[in-house]
Amino acid sequence: MEPQILVENLRKVYRVHERESGAKASITSLFHRKYREVQAVESVSFNIEAGEVVGFLGPNGAGKTTSLKMLAGLLHPTAGVATVLGHTPWKRDPDFLRNISLVMGNRNQLMWDIPAMDSFEVNRAIYDIPEAQFRETLDELISLLELEPLLKKPVRGLSLGERMKCELAAALLHRPKVLFLDEPTLGVDVTMQGRIRHFVAEQNRRHGATVLLTSHYMADVTALCKRIIVIHHGKILYDGQLSSLSDRIAPYKSVMLDMETDEAAIQAEAYGEVIERKGAKITLRIKREKTSEVVARLLSDLPVQDMTVEDPPIEDVIEQVFQQAKEAT
Amino acid sequence: MRYWVTVYRANLKIAIAQMLQYRFGILIWAVWGFVGPLISLAVWTSASVARGGGSIGAAGSGSYSRADFAAYFLTFMIVGHLTMSWDAFEFAFRVRDGNLSPKLLRPLHPIHSDVTFNIAFKLTTCVMILPAWVLLFVVLHPTPPHSLFSFLCGIPAVVMAGLIRYILQYSLAVIAFWTTRVEAINQLYFTLDAFLAGRIAPLSLLPGWMGLMAMYLPFRSMGAFPVELLLGRVPAEQILPGFIMQIAWLGAAVCVFRIMWRAGIKQYSAVGA
Repeated sequence: MEPQILVENLRKVYRVHERESGAKASITSLFHRKYREVQAVESVSFNIEAGEVVGFLGPNGAGKTTSLKMLAGLLHPTAGVATVLGHTPWKRDPDFLRNISLVMGNRNQLMWDIPAMDSFEVNRAIYDIPEAQFRETLDELISLLELEPLLKKPVRGLSLGERMKCELAAALLHRPKVLFLDEPTLGVDVTMQGRIRHFVAEQNRRHGATVLLTSHYMADVTALCKRIIVIHHGKILYDGQLSSLSDRIAPYKSVMLDMETDEAAIQAEAYGEVIERKGAKITLRIKREKTSEVVARLLSDLPVQDMTVEDPPIEDVIEQVFQQAKEAT
Repeated sequence: MRYWVTVYRANLKIAIAQMLQYRFGILIWAVWGFVGPLISLAVWTSASVARGGGSIGAAGSGSYSRADFAAYFLTFMIVGHLTMSWDAFEFAFRVRDGNLSPKLLRPLHPIHSDVTFNIAFKLTTCVMILPAWVLLFVVLHPTPPHSLFSFLCGIPAVVMAGLIRYILQYSLAVIAFWTTRVEAINQLYFTLDAFLAGRIAPLSLLPGWMGLMAMYLPFRSMGAFPVELLLGRVPAEQILPGFIMQIAWLGAAVCVFRIMWRAGIKQYSAVGA
């Protein structure tokens, strides 16, 4: 079966007008405009199967949003091919648009001055959703997102988190097969972030929607995505299981020790790379393949009160991916 | 067909709801559309009075008495209002700040929701400005339409004028994909329109070269032609050519719009969104 999202050597170059500051430069630019080419996405290739939830990670300006916009049909690429549900996105076939949704944390489709319910009704007409299906989906969304008290308030009167919930509902009323989420939890509080994550997971479980998600919050990614694609300077640095990322990029374990004395903690420094030491508590970084041997030695040689062995935090691993890419360039 | 009726009805409902949120703002816009013809009427009425109430212009269908001017500009108020379009401003703004993106993600061309907002504006403001128009009609005693047949022909001509104006305006708006600022181009368009559509003066009173320009540009089809037709001032043998001209301009506008849209959408950079 063909993947639901297929991307090959996708590239996007923006032509940006450039000038120095000041009046002289302004006048000069009237007659002699200078342009610079900015490579937003260099050459990106990946496939996503139906029903997958994939995290698209990268620092600001990495090319995540540009890639998402190309896949949603908003942008024409400079080169490369992509198909989503068998359609070339930027041809913007109504059949394609009827089956996808792009939710942008910083942009809204709901009309500002009227209640969200009115916008939902317009979407029902535009997406030609049968009345029964519309009611069923809406009821489901109302219950999952706790929308009931928000539906009749003008959108401008809603808080950011409330608005985001309504945006998500508007984007899902037509039950898209592919959902692009660009920073869906941007600016919302921790409780709301959790609810949105739960909701996206439910949508994927109940309706098998394929989800491609960008987020700066690693909690979004770890909660939702088994697979991640890491992008930096428009290039893919990693594409694979989230769980294998640590093995490949950071083959270390974090060993947290609570020693009986400060002296014992000082002695423990010799057993691995010290990440942190506070009094009798010390955290060591130890190579994955040597973990059991080092832990056994520590337990026999030193007075250990308590010990925890963990994979390094995913934030640190991702940071390491970017750091390695930076050093390579 | 059922789909389009449902889409337009749903959009119209919320467009009217939004218009009513900003009642005062849209009333000002409606008054702005009204004031132009009123000023022209005042100027030409003064000119007519200065001539002792006599007609101005070449004898026959090209000359205007004080009552003819009143009829012409009062009709222009209604036709101008019904065919009004301001999409270039809004569209350029949306391209600039990325608000076009959510509209492009829907399986419906953004022009359709804009058309419904245009219709909603006209419906809501008609209720506000119609009483003022009736009052002016009573006070100014305009010349009534010369022929019922011509008046009836004028109704489809107004619809055609609205369509040509709307699609031409949208084509100008699409330039925003390249320049992001279309205000200057739009201003030039409005200035030409003021003269060549017959807003400032009936076309028969313009200098010869300007009248000739008006004949060969789309502006007459969008203004003076339907107005004169409603009043029965278009000679019978010129009615059919007038409609053919409108159809040709509408066809040309649709072609230009489609070509520009296809090319422009490739330029869209979805800035900030």
